[in-house]
Amino acid sequence: MKTIMDLRKDLDEKKVTSDELFKIAIEKAHTYQDEFNSFVTIMDKKEEKESNSLLSGIPYALKDNFSTKGILTTASSNILKDYVPVYDSTAYKKLKDAGAVLVGKTVLDELAMGGTGTTGHTGIVRNPWNKNREIGGSSAGSAAAVALGIVPFSIGSDTGDSIRKPAAFGGLVGFKPTYGRISRYGLFAFASSLDHVGCFARCVRDAAIVTDILKGQDEKDMTSLPNEDIKYTDVIDNDIKGMKLFYIKEITDKTLYKDAGEETLKILDKFKETIEECKKLGFTVDEVSFDDNLLKALYPTYITISSAEATSNNSNLTGIPFGPRGEGGSINEIMFDARTKGFSELIKRRFILGSYILQRENQERLFKNALRLRHIIVDKMNELYKTYDAMILPASGGVAPFFDNEIDRMSDRYLILENHMVIGNFGGFPSITIPNGFVDDMPIGINITGKAFDDAKVLNIANKIEDKLGYKGLIKEEYDV
Amino acid sequence: MVTKENLKDYAAKLMFDMDDEGYERTLKEFETVEKHMELIGKIENIKSVEPLVFPYVIYHANFREDEAKDSLTTDEVLANAKDTKADQVKVPKVVGE
Repeated sequence: MKTIMDLRKDLDEKKVTSDELFKIAIEKAHTYQDEFNSFVTIMDKKEEKESNSLLSGIPYALKDNFSTKGILTTASSNILKDYVPVYDSTAYKKLKDAGAVLVGKTVLDELAMGGTGTTGHTGIVRNPWNKNREIGGSSAGSAAAVALGIVPFSIGSDTGDSIRKPAAFGGLVGFKPTYGRISRYGLFAFASSLDHVGCFARCVRDAAIVTDILKGQDEKDMTSLPNEDIKYTDVIDNDIKGMKLFYIKEITDKTLYKDAGEETLKILDKFKETIEECKKLGFTVDEVSFDDNLLKALYPTYITISSAEATSNNSNLTGIPFGPRGEGGSINEIMFDARTKGFSELIKRRFILGSYILQRENQERLFKNALRLRHIIVDKMNELYKTYDAMILPASGGVAPFFDNEIDRMSDRYLILENHMVIGNFGGFPSITIPNGFVDDMPIGINITGKAFDDAKVLNIANKIEDKLGYKGLIKEEYDV
Repeated sequence: MVTKENLKDYAAKLMFDMDDEGYERTLKEFETVEKHMELIGKIENIKSVEPLVFPYVIYHANFREDEAKDSLTTDEVLANAKDTKADQVKVPKVVGE
């Protein structure tokens, strides 16, 4: 399957035109839509903007929680089912200015809250590697669109692992750079202190190309970072000899997984094989110990902070300035009715939890303690980053789950293995998932997470490991057309 | 211990309601939630740590100059509202008769 650079070459050598690429992508998007449900909206008209950038003329897909002027943007929720934004998100504007061609807006878990790709208002998203399995979420459609070969890259958002987990389940590269590296202006907020913009791609180089276009300070996002005088594509081939990686014993030691299934054990074995490959490449790799109580508290800490922030961020969804108008005799009744009808039960449960956490009597015990825990975890990571260049871990404890699989493997240990990537959001650390081969015919991933602001180094490390492992540009044979 | 009445109150504060089965399922979920939340309190000396509300210490102040910039037109602002009148979003009276 062609990468961005392959398509760039074809375009530059006039083997294909951007009109033809757009037409092919749209046809594929329609062909696979009923079966996989990647899109909320498939574009019928090509955006025309010439540019000299590497992305000029290249098709891509955008998660449906990025504001696009004049194009329906639903966040996969009934409360925004008819919403047509009147302004562009910065990420979309930058891609448009770079000449990238929007193919469609992709399905997500409702309001980006969820990790299954099953809760969007237009239905579930299926995994191209096996239709009976989830692709993961919340950036489900963006992952499926690349895994199906409709587009060479797509844009997602990541609050807990919403890019990096579906990337693992779809055999893709998924990268979220440092918090603030890419402007969040126009991204519908879920949990503002944890939300990141990032991308899916077929290889690390492509992820670097896309991030080079998207990054930069934005006066519309006061948390955006100052510009760097560096292009990631210029440094991803740098020599890595002497660099030091670590992995966490309590997450990767097979002997600690007493009740784990075969699948998890195979993933842990495969991880250790990859560690050996990293050593052959010239990395020093150490096993370090991490306080088990901190690891067990990762998921509760994430749920507490994200639910509390989501509760207040979504208070603007009233059905009055936008969204379906509720019924009632007073303004309060109208809002009450719109919110009761507009949110699914899953979202309501998340909001109730947020409301509970923010009750005066619970704020100190739950909300503030979760923020204190976040501090302890981030400090511990920064301490490790004084010695090490990056952390490397399995991206998930299993392959993509079946739809009917009620999670029955939620031991404390498994919960850590499945949710540790929230560390990347707590500290705003640059974090990338790359394919690590297959278990039971399904793709699996490894995750590499570095120090805040070390985006270039993380991409450099990932690129070298990707080269060594050879799982670049994975796509299921039948979609490789 | 959280009760169904508590849950209804939390939902009402956020201006929505659910059916009874929804509250039952939420109540069941809260058993797991409470168990998870206990883990947060178990960390030693947690009270001596400053809460972290942002991923890292902000070392830059990214404020723009205080100059007027383009903003949305009235038509744009009203474009998604279901009921408008005289350049405003129309809602029922909020002040008594």
